[in-house]
Amino acid sequence: MLHLPRRVLSTLAVTTAFSAGAARAEIPATLNINGASGLIELPSGESQSDSKFTFSGTIVGSVARGTLSFQFTDRLSASFRFQTWRDWNTLFPADTGTIRDRSIDIRYQILEESQYVPSLTVGLIDFTGEGLFSSEYIAATKTFGEKLKVTAGLGWGRLGSAGSIGSPFGNRPPLEEGDKGKPNVDQWFRGDVSPFAGVEYKINDRWTFKAEYSTDDYVLEDETRGLIERDSPFNFGIEYQKGPMFRYGMYSMYGSEIGFAFHIILDPKNRLTGGVTGPAPAPVKARPSRAADPDAFDGGWVTQADAGPILRENLAKRLAVDGIVVENLALTATTAQIRIRSTRIDAGAQAIGRTARAMSHVLPASVEVFEIVPVVNGIGASKITIRRSDLEELEFAGDNATLLRQRATITDAGPVPANALGDEGLYPKFRWSLRPALRMSELLKGDVGLQLSASYDVRPGLVLSGSIYKRVASNTDRDTAPSASLLPPVRSDRDRYIELGDPALERLTLAWYARPAPDIYSRVTLGYLERMHAGISGEVLWKPVDSKLALGVELNYSKQRDTDGGLGFDEYDYDVVTGYLSAYYEFGNGYVGQLDVGKYLAGDVGATVSIDRVFVNGWRIGAFATVTDASAAEFGEGAFDKGIRFSIPLNWALGNQSQTTYGATLRPNTGDGGARLDVDGRLYNSIRDYHTGALDPEWGRVWR
Amino acid sequence: MGTGVAVRLKIGLVALAVLAGCGNEKSEQRPLIATVGAMAASTVAQMRARQSGATPAAKAPPARAEIEKAGVPVLRATIPNLGADRFLTIFDQKGDVVTWKTTDGSTFSLRNGILIQTRGLGPDLMSSNVPTVGQLLQNGGTHQRQYFFLGADDQTTRRTYECTVTVVGKEEIEIFEKKHQVTRATEECTRQQSGKLTNEFWIEGQTVRQSRQWASALTGYIEFQRVVD
Repeated sequence: MLHLPRRVLSTLAVTTAFSAGAARAEIPATLNINGASGLIELPSGESQSDSKFTFSGTIVGSVARGTLSFQFTDRLSASFRFQTWRDWNTLFPADTGTIRDRSIDIRYQILEESQYVPSLTVGLIDFTGEGLFSSEYIAATKTFGEKLKVTAGLGWGRLGSAGSIGSPFGNRPPLEEGDKGKPNVDQWFRGDVSPFAGVEYKINDRWTFKAEYSTDDYVLEDETRGLIERDSPFNFGIEYQKGPMFRYGMYSMYGSEIGFAFHIILDPKNRLTGGVTGPAPAPVKARPSRAADPDAFDGGWVTQADAGPILRENLAKRLAVDGIVVENLALTATTAQIRIRSTRIDAGAQAIGRTARAMSHVLPASVEVFEIVPVVNGIGASKITIRRSDLEELEFAGDNATLLRQRATITDAGPVPANALGDEGLYPKFRWSLRPALRMSELLKGDVGLQLSASYDVRPGLVLSGSIYKRVASNTDRDTAPSASLLPPVRSDRDRYIELGDPALERLTLAWYARPAPDIYSRVTLGYLERMHAGISGEVLWKPVDSKLALGVELNYSKQRDTDGGLGFDEYDYDVVTGYLSAYYEFGNGYVGQLDVGKYLAGDVGATVSIDRVFVNGWRIGAFATVTDASAAEFGEGAFDKGIRFSIPLNWALGNQSQTTYGATLRPNTGDGGARLDVDGRLYNSIRDYHTGALDPEWGRVWR
Repeated sequence: MGTGVAVRLKIGLVALAVLAGCGNEKSEQRPLIATVGAMAASTVAQMRARQSGATPAAKAPPARAEIEKAGVPVLRATIPNLGADRFLTIFDQKGDVVTWKTTDGSTFSLRNGILIQTRGLGPDLMSSNVPTVGQLLQNGGTHQRQYFFLGADDQTTRRTYECTVTVVGKEEIEIFEKKHQVTRATEECTRQQSGKLTNEFWIEGQTVRQSRQWASALTGYIEFQRVVD
């Protein structure tokens, strides 16, 4: 393969980044120390370009912040922040606790900047936490010329704590203990309001100067805890952009502190490699014309006993190059159905295209219809039917992907044909792996360990699998006192499980996947389902291949496991039946929503709403919230379960052929309310990859 | 990229290699490790090149006799943006489309010498609607060109250009010691949104002997020479 030099890529990426914003503002929006579009600590009226995913690490004096931000739509963005205060107890030697805060912000851009109108954003900072940073703001930003941006705004909460001009909407009530963790609706835009302002001046493409008049008085850090001396409302500093992905900042803050910022700016939409890498495919093998060689089209070969096995073996050999396994092959004189398992290529459409071309090389000319059934967990996910003559005709046609999609059909997989020829070598099959695994408890704190996994495929759809985790190193202290939760401690003893069970059997399950009827998929998982619970979990999903809507039912019976990581159930005398009705919906443009209603692990009843943005290349970023009849007091800190999750395909960065992803789920607080079993192999996401909602956006890769 | 960055990159690559872990599913693990290995190797090579302050010396082009030794048709492709200069051999031939392949797995499909597809370059030209050689020999002729790319966003992007042909005239060119009498034609293409590109063709009879053709924003222009028929 010919690879683009990194230098060219980064130059082009910079050009793209700058030209994308050129239509309205010449200067791309930068980030503040809170990871939001803005100045130094102040927010601005701008938003990042759609889908930007950023990580910001900043240190100012004794305060360290780490923030993940995502531009969820053109106008809506959100942040998840970890914050720690070093030397928190300097003035209070009697205090022994440390303080860590996790907070969530949300911002909406009301106006985009145009010739006479500034961009205008309204934002809520730390709006569901303990309220240590709670602020609301409206900020406007206008660009003047090609170098200068001016921001002005109004702030409430912490951003209204200095230089107030009054309280137009009444007093700001204190946050009640029981309301911590819920949206602080009663406080919004209440209390003192202060006008703030700042400027950003672009010295050149790399260097930027920023100055601001900030209205955060740092009452908590300065007056209460003596960590920071706020001598001045003026902050200023410089920032340096290194390529499209990195930005550094250094600031003078509060007239007394030096601040540092480091930002990683990722664009999930676009691959770092500039495009899909990997070797070229084999071309389509053309058949002779029927007129020139009518004998080639004779279907008599089907009567030869060894024809099937030979053809299956030849296909397996060709497809092995791309990591595609032939589960089985069913032949008639005119139709071939191949069932494949793709283990490396990250896009279903590309695996399908490669399979179709391999079939054109191997199968006799009389076979006109190619049916390709991608298999996930032993069950057919869908059936893609391609006519061989279309493949031959369209290979070099303009817009060949669109044309082929118009002529191909994607339907329910149907049952395995009675005449299917499997490979005796495929089942049973034993697989194992040993790999490092990280368990983060907070920013840069957690365990590094080794995970030994093994699975045994008894037959298609029947898998025995398990994993063991052994910690190697840790830089965090965990509390092993039993949870004081008012609910059964189905999750809040998590730290006990980690500390007391090392090594621990994480999972040991027998899972059975099936497709009992058209459009219906099922799963039954039995055994040690997850680290804290064991039992049986069953699921049925209805999902027609071309339907935006899917419906599911899940029913589980589980018993809480011992903390020691063994097989016992002596420590907790707790078992529960849980179950959910689920609806999934594809809103288009990659937005997928899910609603679950049912009974959760602690016996509480409620619902979970989640929304994910799924990119064509496999990136997923989403948020979820669960509200149940468990009270805020029962849930503990955080009031209800909520958080964000993301998953990044490694090949997006490396360009290798692999389906490995890196992901995490982040919650501000973990409580026992709204908890679900963490079972492997839930149906919707595994099946959906080969349905039209996922295949159509990536269909351009069918000829790749 | 400074040495510091290179070192950090290498540490990152090693970390990724470790993340890959090990197991008995060799076919699934190898590509990652191979990729990481290849990237590390090329990083080290780049660092060395930079430290020595020299770009790798361009190899002297081989003599025609050497190229002809294999006894197969050969196309030379040069991509200035990628710093690539390769000799390609025929991978597949169907009707008037010939697909040429590099030894490392990239392919270029040309219809009567006019580029219609690339594979393996990263951002690839997946398909296109192009003029015929006859159209390129018609001075003042106009036609539409359409490109369909698979870009960094994994999706098909269409670009439509309006093109005008100028037949510059007869010329003599030399390709690896062999002289060819050709007609030189340029194809100037513009699109509404902005953007302009110029393809150049040196046509011998009805065959494109040499050309400089645009492939994609990232790949830029590719220069082709039909060295051995």
